[in-house]
Amino acid sequence: MKKVIAVFLVLLIITGIVFAKGAAETTTRPEVVKLQVWYALSGTSGESFKSKAEAFDIARPDIELELTYSGKYADTATKVSAALLSGDAPDVAVMAAGQLYTGGRGDFSMEEFAKDPEFNISDVYPGMLEYGKFDGRLAAVPFGISTQVLYYNKTICNAAGIDLEKNPPKTWEELLTLAKIAVEKGNINKSSDFYGFDTSDGVWLIKSMFSQNGNPVVKKAGDTVVPVFNEASGVEVATFWKKMIDSGIMPAGQHNNAEKKFLAGNLAIIAASSNRISRWQGNTSFELGAIPMPKFSQNALALGGNVMVILSEDQFKKEAGWELVKHMLKEENQTDFALSTGYLPIRKSSQQNPKVQELFISNPLYKIAFEQLDYTWAYLHFSEMGTMDAMFWYALDEIEKAVLSPKAALDKAAASLIKEME
Amino acid sequence: MKRMIKSNNPYRKILFGKEYETAQLRAAVVLLIPSFLAILVLFILPVVQVVLYSFTNYNLTTGVKDFNGLTNYKFILTDNQFHKALRNTFVFATGKLVIDTSLALIIALMLDARVPFKRYLRGAFFAPVVVPVVASSLIWIWFYDPGIGPFNQILEALSLPKSQWLYHENTALLSILIFSIWKGIGYNIILFLAGLQNIPDSYIQAAEVDGATGWQVLFKIKLPLLRPIISFVVMIGIINTFKVFAEINVMTPKGGPLYSTALMVVYIYEQAFTKGKMGRACAAAIALFIIIFILTMIQNKLDTKKSISLE
Amino acid sequence: MKKKLHKVNKPVLLVLLLGSLLMIFPFVWVVLSSFKTVADVYAYPPKWLPSSWKFSNYATVFEMIPFARYYVNSIYTSVMQTALQLGISVTAAYALVVLDFPGKKILFSVVRSTMFVPTIVILIPMYLMVSKVHLIDTYAGIILPQIFTAFTIFLLVSFFRSIPHDLYDSAKLDGCGYYRILSHVVIPNASSAISTAMLFSFLGHWKSYTWPLIVTNKQQYRTLPIGMKYLVQESSSEYQVMMAASVMAILPVLIVFMIFEKQLVKSITLTGLKA
Repeated sequence: MKKVIAVFLVLLIITGIVFAKGAAETTTRPEVVKLQVWYALSGTSGESFKSKAEAFDIARPDIELELTYSGKYADTATKVSAALLSGDAPDVAVMAAGQLYTGGRGDFSMEEFAKDPEFNISDVYPGMLEYGKFDGRLAAVPFGISTQVLYYNKTICNAAGIDLEKNPPKTWEELLTLAKIAVEKGNINKSSDFYGFDTSDGVWLIKSMFSQNGNPVVKKAGDTVVPVFNEASGVEVATFWKKMIDSGIMPAGQHNNAEKKFLAGNLAIIAASSNRISRWQGNTSFELGAIPMPKFSQNALALGGNVMVILSEDQFKKEAGWELVKHMLKEENQTDFALSTGYLPIRKSSQQNPKVQELFISNPLYKIAFEQLDYTWAYLHFSEMGTMDAMFWYALDEIEKAVLSPKAALDKAAASLIKEME
Repeated sequence: MKRMIKSNNPYRKILFGKEYETAQLRAAVVLLIPSFLAILVLFILPVVQVVLYSFTNYNLTTGVKDFNGLTNYKFILTDNQFHKALRNTFVFATGKLVIDTSLALIIALMLDARVPFKRYLRGAFFAPVVVPVVASSLIWIWFYDPGIGPFNQILEALSLPKSQWLYHENTALLSILIFSIWKGIGYNIILFLAGLQNIPDSYIQAAEVDGATGWQVLFKIKLPLLRPIISFVVMIGIINTFKVFAEINVMTPKGGPLYSTALMVVYIYEQAFTKGKMGRACAAAIALFIIIFILTMIQNKLDTKKSISLE
Repeated sequence: MKKKLHKVNKPVLLVLLLGSLLMIFPFVWVVLSSFKTVADVYAYPPKWLPSSWKFSNYATVFEMIPFARYYVNSIYTSVMQTALQLGISVTAAYALVVLDFPGKKILFSVVRSTMFVPTIVILIPMYLMVSKVHLIDTYAGIILPQIFTAFTIFLLVSFFRSIPHDLYDSAKLDGCGYYRILSHVVIPNASSAISTAMLFSFLGHWKSYTWPLIVTNKQQYRTLPIGMKYLVQESSSEYQVMMAASVMAILPVLIVFMIFEKQLVKSITLTGLKA
């Protein structure tokens, strides 16, 4: 018996030693600074990012990059949160905007870095810069930014006798009317699952619509953030959303399936990210068209997409990371990235880039996203923004399925959000 | 056993009032060290941590970790979504358990009958078990697609009404259930089959000679002899139903239409990774753990009747 | 007594055949789809047969993700996990069945209760522990936390229990110590049971998804299930490529199963399965 206890104690001690942590610190910059870079970009976007990062790696012998594709936005966020806890976080990450970036942990060093004259902060669209802020302060740099664009199936629209290019809908009411016509006359597949309009990201769309109706979604009140989306202007938007369902142009609760439906030729118009251009063009069985998004009372579009964050706490890695960020955001690099993927250029100077001019002429679809640049907008990013997105998702579900009235659904979401923030 | 064996007998030792062979004790210690270590490190330590975290406001985003007493427990007990998740879990678990066990038993009985192609049939029924969950979930999303999926296509061909499958709150959980059963039933079938084949032919033949009908053989001989396996299957079933996660995460993200496919595990995952509220997730996890524990205890108690064994 | 196949139970056979079709038709669909073109995939009404047989889809899989690497990783980690798991399970099951020691019943309950813990619950604490010992993004980090399953232990316990006591007694009379009894009596007699346990174990590890997902960040350590998930994200409009990848992922396991299947059913003796 004593032996057993002895063995047990030895094991316990070993386990304890194994968990003891040791930290090493350096005070001079090592010759080569190694950076772990994770990016949540796949397909063309991933390749474009990777090739530019590799070019940077070659050009800078004093910085060495290790690049890893870390999955979709959600997976990357999960991994980064776990990694932050264990101290294994990457030094630089390209990930979706969210509470995870440095601002959420009180690190606003990006503000200082951004003052670098080489970065030329005044050249960046203000709306985009907002997207990189947390609690009103710069915590990340916008990189792969997109807005939603209205794609449509030309074949269906021709069959229905509507020409969206000549007469694009300027307001949502106009869109509703056109979509109705498409449903009545455009069912070329004779499918029982045919609709006029849908979006693959309802939460994104409704945020844009809130802003278009003068509702900033949330606002700062002293030290806390309060929801304002359930005020009258917000309820108007939600009521219209319900109208779209009731009029039969949009199916209830099927946003996850919207892109598949569109590609199968069973959906006339879809609001989807501008970066779908690179994925869909030439790959659809029908002729693809795109037009700018309609408006409520004013033009505004919520931004989506990813940002570059510097997560490291090591001073030298931070500086090296900033060098990488600057490189990726150089006008020619970032514009090139945007053009090859359908993301938006974040710099005003990109409009002068000859490549951009060329592309507009050769591919009018790209022009649409660019045309919307002037009214891009980001709501205030705060600690519970991820939760708020989830709330919107549930609220939309409840509104579309007529479980709650638009006002009740928004009130419920607002109440839950306030509760979560306690 | 006499308690009079002196303690200076090197071959026996008395511990806790019972007598053991020293050699066995030594062997036991050595042989059990790996398991002991594994249980300690892989289960006990993490579970203890989960319990501790459940009393804090541990937040994955901000890294904050302060003690906050029963706040998390209070929250989940009053959270509508938690109640829904609980309800969904019970509905799902009951459905899966009942169907998984009874259907598997029926199929095993059929496979044991006088039919040819047994090898192919067994292989066919077990095949879904072998497939990685993520791969098959992704495939079934396609099957369930209301517009272009084959299921609705078949329904249409049979002049039956089409279904929204994963996209409607009335059918979503059922869709996941069907998938889950398809995927897991092969396991139970094999176990039951093995049990059936364990029953010596002599028993059955003797009964037939005595004039028993097929049904009587079934109910008076086969089923009673299968009792230990049935209870094993039920116990494993209870445990496994509560672990179902991957397919739900893939097929109906965010808890499904009107939160109808959110099971407890999904709720825990959401709290921890979508909202970053690790403390709360741990509290919910402890709640789940307690529920599973109670259920298996109940199952154990109900199972007190001694099974008729072959020995 | 020989069984005479004098009459085939026709209605039962019919039901079983229909049932088997239900079980395998997804596989049929997957295989057919793996040869389709993009247009076929999104065609409405849905097509069953490809319009042209694109064998190139299989090559595309390797182009899109380092499929070969993921395959190797899966094989390596599954084999290692199975081996280690068997080591733990055989020794534990033997001790629980043959040896007598205090706290046996308690140990049984503890082992059983480990089955109640869903992976998701202990994910974060395990992750933190593994990272403290710097095993993130290592094979050891993937393998070690998954080497203990109560199910395997209980399976072996029920097998070991069915070994007649006389075998132990005669071995002891021959002067065997308890270790030799394990290696010379128990293991040879339960070889089919052990290989069954090995098969189930391998199967489980091949499919394991949640843990490897969170413990690997770098591409070169990813296993097949995770690689497949990333493939979907890459190729969301190239469904047929994903189908090809699925076929390649499923096929070896299916083959292994078909080979061992007969043995599997024969060897599961279930006396005393109640732990």
